[in-house]
Amino acid sequence: MSVASDSPVHSSSSDDLAAFLETELESDSDSSSESFPSEEAEDDTEVANHRLKKRKLEHLETVEEEGVENVASVTFSEEISEASSSKRPCDHPGSIKQICILCGEPVEQTGVPLRYMHQDMWIHQEEISRIRDSDIKFLQRQRKLCLVLDLDHTLLNTTVLRDLKPEEDYLKSHTHSLQDVSGGDLFMLDFMNMMTKLRPFVRSFLKEASEMFVMYIYTMGDRDYARKMAELLDPKGEYFSGRIISRDDGTVKHQKSLDVVLGQESSVLILDDTENAWPSHKDNLIVIERYHFFASSCRQFEHKYQSLSQLKSDESEPDGVLATVLKVLKQTHSLFFEDGGGYTSGRDVRTLLKQVRKQVLEGCKVVFSRVFPTKSEPKDHPLWRIAEGLGATCATEVDASVTHVVAMDVGTEKVRWAIREKKFVVNRGWIDAAHYLWKKQPEENFGLEQLKKTETEVKNDDVTLEN
Amino acid sequence: MFFHIVLERNMQLHPRFFGRNLRENLVSKLMKDVEGTCSGRHGFVVAITGIESVGKGLIRDGTGFVTFPVKYQCVVFRPFKGEILEAVVTLVNKMGFFAEAGPVQIFVSKHLIPDDMEFQAGDMPHYTTSDGSVCFFLNL
Repeated sequence: MSVASDSPVHSSSSDDLAAFLETELESDSDSSSESFPSEEAEDDTEVANHRLKKRKLEHLETVEEEGVENVASVTFSEEISEASSSKRPCDHPGSIKQICILCGEPVEQTGVPLRYMHQDMWIHQEEISRIRDSDIKFLQRQRKLCLVLDLDHTLLNTTVLRDLKPEEDYLKSHTHSLQDVSGGDLFMLDFMNMMTKLRPFVRSFLKEASEMFVMYIYTMGDRDYARKMAELLDPKGEYFSGRIISRDDGTVKHQKSLDVVLGQESSVLILDDTENAWPSHKDNLIVIERYHFFASSCRQFEHKYQSLSQLKSDESEPDGVLATVLKVLKQTHSLFFEDGGGYTSGRDVRTLLKQVRKQVLEGCKVVFSRVFPTKSEPKDHPLWRIAEGLGATCATEVDASVTHVVAMDVGTEKVRWAIREKKFVVNRGWIDAAHYLWKKQPEENFGLEQLKKTETEVKNDDVTLEN
Repeated sequence: MFFHIVLERNMQLHPRFFGRNLRENLVSKLMKDVEGTCSGRHGFVVAITGIESVGKGLIRDGTGFVTFPVKYQCVVFRPFKGEILEAVVTLVNKMGFFAEAGPVQIFVSKHLIPDDMEFQAGDMPHYTTSDGSVCFFLNL
């Protein structure tokens, strides 16, 4: 007996068929405790009735047979059990809708939820570790690391249409068509009441980065927003397919973490404008300067200056932030795979990133003057830490080996000493600039006179770029 | 596979729908309620093809609702164990692949894919045997 031969497509004798189906379905539900959870399904229909054309997940069993089969369906089970693999007890690596993805048994929902793959998918921690390890050979061969990218203020800037200032209205006539997004960088998304501007150089950035990294999107926006932005950045779906993590897919609210990323922590780099979004992975993080194109973005961060749209200008493409970060990524990547090594030689991107960072202010000895509050320990101050991270040696007292004095005020002892000894006197912006731009900046641009100027001047960036 | 069967359902109708168009209202409510749903026994109800009979309506105590037992013919889709289905692959990744066969969503875990099929990442992720003879591709 086989269903295929007996099932009439068009039943004139529906009673016979109904009876046949009864027996068939009866025996099926009696014998096997697998893919068709009939009891739960009946309840589901009640719920499903309230929704139109709702699809329900069904898990197709292809391997294991369990339990005793009734005579009625024995033909099937015999054919299948010959082809099936050995009957090892299943260790339930994960589940979808509380059904094991390996054997189809009902299981508890434990482990890590990978909601960006499937709404109800939970995978065990051991399975995740196993997947991370199994990938190594392939990634080593391909010479690829992993890169997690933030969206807002990192790769693009989005504003709600309502928040557009009158001087930004000119933008409405400059938007690109959504039919073919590859040519444009300014998009009007009426249906979402938003306008989005892609950061200059982003397409080249993604193209080059995709050759060195498996890329993820990890945003604090919701799922629909994340998908829409991915469509704009990656119209062919070649960079991020299936790797778009939104705030609905994270495990902890308002925090980002690498627990749902299927890559070894020692091989993941993160690009984000907000350091505090990654509390447990600060070592993997490359903090990037925020992209404020729209006025609403400046307002959001209480940024005193005008936005790029108001100034009718934009970041430089070849010299901009993304180009700089790309260089850093390339450097780290080549250090990782240097001399044919990589995953197998136990290299860690976190140490390599620190190495690259330490080259920025290498050879500089810095003394701070009236930058830190007197009561605090200077060594704990974030600026001290940043300077040390950039490779500079920090000291509290001046001596002959000092190269730079960082001050906020002309009148101090240390500043007068520096001017006498012809040492560089800079404001703290010099260190911040080095931190964001990954390059030592010309000291002339950060003199103390500059400090007074920036307070009154209207600028779009915190730093001026030297070409 | 697909089956054309007769199912029965008790439909509750609000008195506002009584009158000349009672039967039409009943049928459209039935369609709205049943089409697209799924049960473990019968599978997915794809479409209602006709009404076989509408029984006598019973007025419920306490409310004005009337319950009609309706017998209707419909096309259902239910996969069976051992059946071979054509499915469209929607996502391929390290965990396995997702596919759709009409209303049925399918996930095949990497564990269930023969060992000689390797996952190839890249802009067109797919699983392939070493000689490239068999592949699961994403079909856009």
